[in-house]
Amino acid sequence: MRIAGVLLVVGGWLLAVAGLLLTTSTFMRGIFACAGIALSLSGIFGFLNQYYLARAIWKR
Amino acid sequence: MRRKHVHYTRLLFAVLGLTAALSVVAPMRVKAETGSTTVTGVTAPASADIAAKGDPGAEMTGTVSDVTIADTKQGLTLADLANQAGQNKIAINFVWTLVAGFLVMFMQAGFAIVETGLIRAKSANHTMMMNFMVYGLGLFAYWVSGFAIQMGGSAPIANLGGVYPLNSEYVLNLFGKPWPLFGMKGFFLSGTSYDVGVMVLFLFQMVFMDTTTTIVTGSCAERWKYSAFCVSTIGLGALIYPLFGNWAWGCGWLSQLGANFGLGHGYCDFAGSGVVHAVGGLTGLAVAMQLGPRIGKYNRDGSPNAIPGHDLSYVLLGCFILAFGWFGFNPGSTLGASGNGALRIGSIAVNTMLAGCTGSFAALLYMWIRYGKPDASMAGNGLLAGLVAITAPSGFVNSLAAVIIGWVAGILVCVGVEFFDRVAKVDDPVGAMSVHGLNGLWGVLSVGLFADGRSNYGGSWNGVAGSVKGLFYGDAGQLVAQLIGIATLVGVIFTLSFLWNWLVDVIVGQRCNPKAELAGLDIPEMGALCYPDFQLKAQDYASASSNVGSPVSSK
Repeated sequence: MRIAGVLLVVGGWLLAVAGLLLTTSTFMRGIFACAGIALSLSGIFGFLNQYYLARAIWKR
Repeated sequence: MRRKHVHYTRLLFAVLGLTAALSVVAPMRVKAETGSTTVTGVTAPASADIAAKGDPGAEMTGTVSDVTIADTKQGLTLADLANQAGQNKIAINFVWTLVAGFLVMFMQAGFAIVETGLIRAKSANHTMMMNFMVYGLGLFAYWVSGFAIQMGGSAPIANLGGVYPLNSEYVLNLFGKPWPLFGMKGFFLSGTSYDVGVMVLFLFQMVFMDTTTTIVTGSCAERWKYSAFCVSTIGLGALIYPLFGNWAWGCGWLSQLGANFGLGHGYCDFAGSGVVHAVGGLTGLAVAMQLGPRIGKYNRDGSPNAIPGHDLSYVLLGCFILAFGWFGFNPGSTLGASGNGALRIGSIAVNTMLAGCTGSFAALLYMWIRYGKPDASMAGNGLLAGLVAITAPSGFVNSLAAVIIGWVAGILVCVGVEFFDRVAKVDDPVGAMSVHGLNGLWGVLSVGLFADGRSNYGGSWNGVAGSVKGLFYGDAGQLVAQLIGIATLVGVIFTLSFLWNWLVDVIVGQRCNPKAELAGLDIPEMGALCYPDFQLKAQDYASASSNVGSPVSSK
């Protein structure tokens, strides 16, 4: 789960940067960047944080 | 006396003309020839006169007699005057940048007492010592490699005399575009980096990096093993922070998004909402997630308990110290007070003031309306949030925008603290992730919205001619550049911090053992209590969740 989370977080950045190369439209680059940020955040809070929450000290 | 004034006026015009002419002929670092026209007819006040009367009105101090003459046989020449004018400009900028750096260094004291005030007395020595040692550890790491990676290819920086020795950047050519990735000059400040301008730049950049490292200690307080903190801090100062610093400030790929991809002026971060604060906040999030919450922070059903700090007066005094230091942080980031639009320092200082003020006000009102009382620690965090948010846009926006940015930051910090506390359940004893992480990102974004196109730092920024303009002033590309900066912070910097601290966890172990945490970290980790004469509340497992504080509720 941690590996998947890390891959998602990095994937979000790659998506944002891919927008620079795939299109010259400022609007579309903005969409790519926003989608990339959302993907990275989902990796942090949806995967990495969930992994640690499942093992949290107050759940033991 | 009148005749002397005429001479001085002529002299002034001659110096101005010569300086303007020299500024066209690059590079500036060539001393003007001493064989140029001799200046005559300028009389200096007699030293005997000054000795007899003193100079209470400052009319005889700082005259032609203070200009350094290269060749005493030839006397005063226009070349002497031009060299003196150039040196004066750089001297003003050196002094300004150094004093600003000293102010930022003093922010360490502010961070130390804010964080210590917000945690329990039983771990005060531990928290204070983390804040104390980030200075030494961070400085050492930055001297070894951090500065070179960040600024090794940043020349020329005109306000500091060029810093020409920092002229080597590793550039990856990919997809037909150059991607400058890291600097390669200035390791150990050795070789040609032994240069006066480089030293000034090092000091100023070092205290910024130190601010980043001290943010992490707040979000990880009361459960971070001291040895793990030391190793983690070295990695942040030596590699992670400098990488993003290079991409934003050292002529790296983010700063070149304008020149290479036509996105406004590239990623713009005037004083470091992203470089300093978001990097610190996101690293704090990465480590705090791995550490887990303090024992007693959450009940078995997941509901949070408030764990009040032990000294609110520390907290508010620390906030004031930080607000004072921020006048070094933002106006100092012009790297000078003379030339290339640096006179904008007044506007930058006022923006800084206003955003801090409205941030504090907004947070106070939010808490008052939502919980029925004006909350002191959140008012302090609101002040810091406003200051964090205005850090990136301070050099590009007007005062109305500063007020709006600060206001939004004040609300955002309160919402952020509630989100991390109740939804994400990441324990952050001082609210660093909201203050620095969330508002750092907001600050970066706000450049892309509010930059008004009125600033002019030498006619261009990041190699793109003209002034920085945000979406509201007609440049949507600038907003996209800022969004890509945010994506990089969240996608790359968070990941690097996460992986580095995962490694530290595997090798050193990040978290203290539970007994030490319950007893307070002062004795188990540091060997001495911060307050030996106080009766401290140590806890056992059974009472950990019941005696900590009242459960958090929204009303």
